[in-house]
Order: sequence, then C-alpha cells, then structure tokens
Amino acid sequence: MRLLNALTLIILLTYKAMCGHECVAIASDNRLGINQQQTTAIDFQKIFQIHPRLFLAMSGLASDMHTLKATFEFKHKLYELRENRVMEPKTFASVVSTTLYEKRFGPYYVEPVIAGLDKASKPYITGMDLIGAAAPTENFVVAGNNSESLFGVCESMYKENLEPEELFEVISQCLLSGSGRDCLSGWGGTVYVITKDGVEVKSVKGRMD
Amino acid sequence: MEETPVDFLSIPVSTGTTILACAYRTGVVLAADSRTSTGAYVANRASDKITQICDNVWMCRSGSAADTQNVAAYVKRMVEEHAMERNGTGFRENESNDRAMMVDVRVVAKLTQKIAYENKEKLQAGMIIAGWDRVRGPQVYGIPLGGSMLEAPFSVSGSGSAYIYGYLDNTYKENMEREECEKWMTEAISLAIARDASSGGVIRLVTIHENGCEKQCVLPKDHKVCDGELEQVATTTTAMV
Amino acid sequence: MQDPDAFDLGGFEFSASSHNAKEGGFTSKLATKTGTTISGVIYADGVVLGADTRSTNGETVADKNCEKIHYIAPNIYCCGAGTAADTEAVTGTYYVYFSIFQLILILKGMVSSALFLHRKSTLRESRVVSAQSILKSHLFKYQGHVGAALVLGGFDIHGPQLFTVYPHGSSDCLPYATMGSGSLAAMSIFESDYKDGMSEDEAKLLVARSIRAGIFNDLGSGSNIDLCVLSRAGTKYLRNFEIPQERTYIRAEGYKFKTGTTVINKRNFQTATSTTTEPKKIL
Repeated sequence: MRLLNALTLIILLTYKAMCGHECVAIASDNRLGINQQQTTAIDFQKIFQIHPRLFLAMSGLASDMHTLKATFEFKHKLYELRENRVMEPKTFASVVSTTLYEKRFGPYYVEPVIAGLDKASKPYITGMDLIGAAAPTENFVVAGNNSESLFGVCESMYKENLEPEELFEVISQCLLSGSGRDCLSGWGGTVYVITKDGVEVKSVKGRMD
Repeated sequence: MEETPVDFLSIPVSTGTTILACAYRTGVVLAADSRTSTGAYVANRASDKITQICDNVWMCRSGSAADTQNVAAYVKRMVEEHAMERNGTGFRENESNDRAMMVDVRVVAKLTQKIAYENKEKLQAGMIIAGWDRVRGPQVYGIPLGGSMLEAPFSVSGSGSAYIYGYLDNTYKENMEREECEKWMTEAISLAIARDASSGGVIRLVTIHENGCEKQCVLPKDHKVCDGELEQVATTTTAMV
Repeated sequence: MQDPDAFDLGGFEFSASSHNAKEGGFTSKLATKTGTTISGVIYADGVVLGADTRSTNGETVADKNCEKIHYIAPNIYCCGAGTAADTEAVTGTYYVYFSIFQLILILKGMVSSALFLHRKSTLRESRVVSAQSILKSHLFKYQGHVGAALVLGGFDIHGPQLFTVYPHGSSDCLPYATMGSGSLAAMSIFESDYKDGMSEDEAKLLVARSIRAGIFNDLGSGSNIDLCVLSRAGTKYLRNFEIPQERTYIRAEGYKFKTGTTVINKRNFQTATSTTTEPKKIL
C-alpha cells in the first residue's frame, strides 16, 4: 500500500539567481507535480522573501520546503528581535547551511538558493546542496531538476554588470529557454528583481503544458 | 562516477603489513615495514607502525589504520592516567637522570586486549604489545583480531606474517643478544616484503631495554636480497625516512 | 571506546531518516562531492598547500571556481576533498564585517571554532596537532560516514607540519602529501621532483605543478589553482594563483534582449521601505 501523504509530493522546478549591477534577480517556474508526472498546482510559490533585500528559493520536496521556510522565517525573526537589524545575506547563508547540515544523515530534500543585497547594496548569491555545502558565486546559480540545460543557457546569455531592466530580460529568457525542453517544469514563471530601491515581481508568460 | 584505483572515500586505509616483536636476553625488539595502502594504492610508503605507549612499552599496529591509531591513542591515554594515579611510583630514575614513566607491560597489554575484545565486532585491528619492566623483564604480547591475548617469546602479525612463520619457527633461538636479534628480525621482514604485495618500504626497528629505547631504520638498499629482485635504486631524498 | 547505546550524535539529527527510508529513499538529489586534486609540501621554512577549484555534482560541474583550501586558524589551513558539506562543516570558514559600531566575525566550522575558543582561553597560538586530533576523533566516531579527506598544513611552535587525514579517521605525517581523485597524478610529480629544503618559490611551483597534473589528467579535477603558503612570516592565501585554462566559448558581444522581449502577465513593485508585507501574490 502506498501512503498518500505529503512525502509523495515532489515539486519540480527550475529557477535561477543572477548577479547584476547592484541588483539581483531570482526566478522560478510555477509548476508543482505529484510523482513527477501529475501536475498538481500551477501557481506554486518557490521563492520566499526573508526581508526586502533577501530572498530564498528552494527546489525539492514540497513538505520540506515549507518546513524550512517556516524555520528560516522563525530564525530570522528572532535575529531581528535580538539584534534590531536584518540579516546580511552571508549570515543567512550560514544559517541555512548549518540548519541543513544538522540533518546530515537524514536530510531535507531541498536544494536552496539564496539571493540578496547586503548593507552596501552589493549582490550576493549562493547555491547549496541538500546537506548545506554552500557555493557562493559571482555570476549565476541554477538548481532544480533541469539544471543542466539551465547551466547551458546561462553560460552564454549572462553578461556582467547588467542593469535591472536587462537583467530581467536575461533571466526570463534563460528560464523560458532552459525549461522549454523539460516536461516537469513550466506553466509560466515568476521573476523577482531586487534593487536597492525595492523589489519588482513579474509574472512571466510561458507555455502552459 | 568513474572508478579510480584509489577510492579514498569508501576503501578504508589499511596497513597491509608485516609486524614482528621478539624478546632477546635483556630486552625486546619491535620491527615493521612501512607501507600503508588504500586498495591498490600505496597511501604512505614511509609510515610508522610502531607507536609509543609509554617509555617502556611500544605497540606494533596492523589492520585498519584508523582503528589501530585510535586504539593506540586511547590506550596511551589510559596508561598515562594509570601511571599518574600511582602517584610517582611508576617513575624511575634512568642513566641520564630523566624521570621515565615505567608501566607494567602486562597491564598495557591487558588494557589493549580489553578494548580489542569489547569492540571486536567493530575493530579491524591486530596489535602486538612489547616492552620491558623490572618485574617480568622483556615481554611480548600478541593481540590478534578477535581480542585474545597471547604471551610469546616472539609474535608476528599482518598480511606478510604468513610468508615468514616457518622461517621464524625454524631459526628462532632463545636468549639471543641484541644485535643478533635485530639482524634476525630485519631479515624476516625483508623476506616478507619480498613476497607480500602489501608490505614494503623501509624496515623500522624499536629496541627497548632497561635503560630506555632506541629507534632504527633500515633503508631498502640495505635489505637482504632474497630472490634476485631488482636492486633498489637510491632515491634523491631521505625525507620520507 | 564508545558504548553503542550512549552513542553521541554530536549535533546531528536523524529524525527525518525513518520517513525518508519508508518512501524508499530519494535518489534524485545528490550531495555535492569534490572530485579533487589537493596537495601540500613542506619546504625549508614553511608549508605550501594547493588545490584545484572544480566542484562536481555527478557528471556536472557544480562550481567552476570553488574554494577548497579552508581556514582553520591564522597559522593553519586545510585542503578538503570528498563530500563538500562535510569538508566545510569539519574545517571552517570565516567572514569579517565592519559595522558602524563593531567588527563582526562570523566563524563557521567545527575545528576553526574550537581552536578559536581555545586561543582566546589560553592566549597562545593554535597548534597543528590540535586540529589533527580533533579532526581524527570526529571522523573516527562517524566511521567514514562523514566523508572528509583532508590535507592539513600549518606552522606552529614546532615549525612547519603537514598531515593527511582520511575519512575513516586515520592520519599520516608526511613531507609531501596528496589527496582526492587526482592524488595519483599529483603524487607522481612529488615523487619525481621533491627535494629537501626547497625555497618558497620552488615549493609553490612544485605544488602548482602537482595540481596542474590533477587538473589535466583527472576528470573530477579542473579549473584553477589555489595556493596557501604558511610560514613563520605569516600566511599568504593565493586565490587563483594560476588559471591554466581560460574559458573560450564566450561570445564577445554577448546576447542582447530588447526591453519587452519577455511577455509579462502581471507586475508589482514593492519599495524597500514597505518592509512588513510580502509582495502580493500576483497569480
């Protein structure tokens, strides 16, 4: 007998975070599937705001994503109360990494990506594996089930020092062309462009199949 | 992932080894080769498998490097605590007036055996404890895989031991002098190195007697040539020795 | 030895293991492993450590320029091979921030934190053997399940020292050492050209050459060469000391997308001051 519980939900997504000129963009598709094949939701949120300049995106098991989202929100709120300031992206990455490594031998099935601007508005992005091995980079991070094709498009389309408008176009085109050949991703995308003035959220039109 | 001959993540490092200890008239000699391997790869060609436990007792290690190193460290700590608890009675004045920490060899062997026996499911460790004390003189204790303890005039262990048992039984003499014993043991290890693929490198010797202990090292070029092997080419460095 | 009933979990948490196992386990997610070449050598008055900068996830290069030489103490550094998360968690990293009022130090990693506290309590420089024995006992406790293969180097009161530490908890003390999937290639360089009492420059070039051997002859190793020199004079971290292969496939002018290329369904702008609410869900 197969138990139908939250564990059988595997969310499949593609998303990426890219560094621009004092701005960072993070994007994901919108699909959630059960047992990979069956589409369950087409408006599934995979990017979470920690504070207006810091975002966390996760791919993997939906139940673990929600558990972790709650955990990190809780940890960030406590930090804010104690320190009277918000977390720097590097600090937050450290928290995510240690939280995941705590479960080294029974891990959460998520691959997180962190994107944010620090106090000096310097972009910071990092990817991580499911047990918290951080890999901070200067250009782009991809994760999710179709990361190989995303790597390919990002390698050629990404340029340094992009302005917010251009960065949005690049990340959206990467997302759409990188997930076009992936059955398990799609149903449009959500793109967050984070600048020092604020966050712009855009819903991007994609193939709905 | 591709298979490599050195799968350092899953193959434990082991001392495929030849170790030997023998009592002579007034002391004991411990001998070992210096090869440490990970599968088919020589992870260390100049390792030291003879570990000091206290001033008058040393240990030869064979089997898993991780297990034996940690057992040795554990025994060493227990022996140090034991010597300290005896509040100075474990110390004696030696010739140079240094205060040496003397411990009953049998006590050290028994402690090691206890650890080996209590953890026999988990450990892959064959050890030899040898030393000199004032009560019983030179002593050799073999502690093989299951955690038993055998006192013997000499004891061999490790993968290379099978090749030299007959030689040792055949040529052993009681009450040898120090030089004779050292020569006999060096020759035995040479024979094992010649036939056993997982023994090799230099031959290390430790001699323990009433007045302390000395370490020696026999380079491959000075090994007995047993079966017309190629002569060892002198290396540019002695750093590994 | 450890009593199995009183086995110390040492900060790890196993509560998810049973339900993960019940579902037959998930195989889709792989932990990042560093198919690696790392090496180190002792020279006349110090130690040089070296590493490549490729991190892999299965057959994909997960990071083309990662850092594999980890901080332990100001005078001790450690190269890590094996499971990336394990090498990072057992060794250490640190960041320093300058805020308006104070200097903020973030220190992560088991050994670096332990030695930091030990330094503050004893007011003495950390020793390489301390790092070595903490690593050894931790790795031995987990019987190889914490997959960290390390080359540990440092300069302390006893002079330059170099150790290798294996995942199962054994260690060796050597004048030159290599680890990782490229260790055979790197070792061949040391075995042919190592000399006693080299100068710093000779040692740096030798280590760089050993890493290059790994980069070009081992598929799991690649990208750039990082070095770290530890001596009485202090520590020099030479990030990307050598870049043997520049990327060749970049389009000089890049791709340009005109604004409006992407079709947008909805948009929402939130200013930095409107902090408390999340951006409105727009779908």
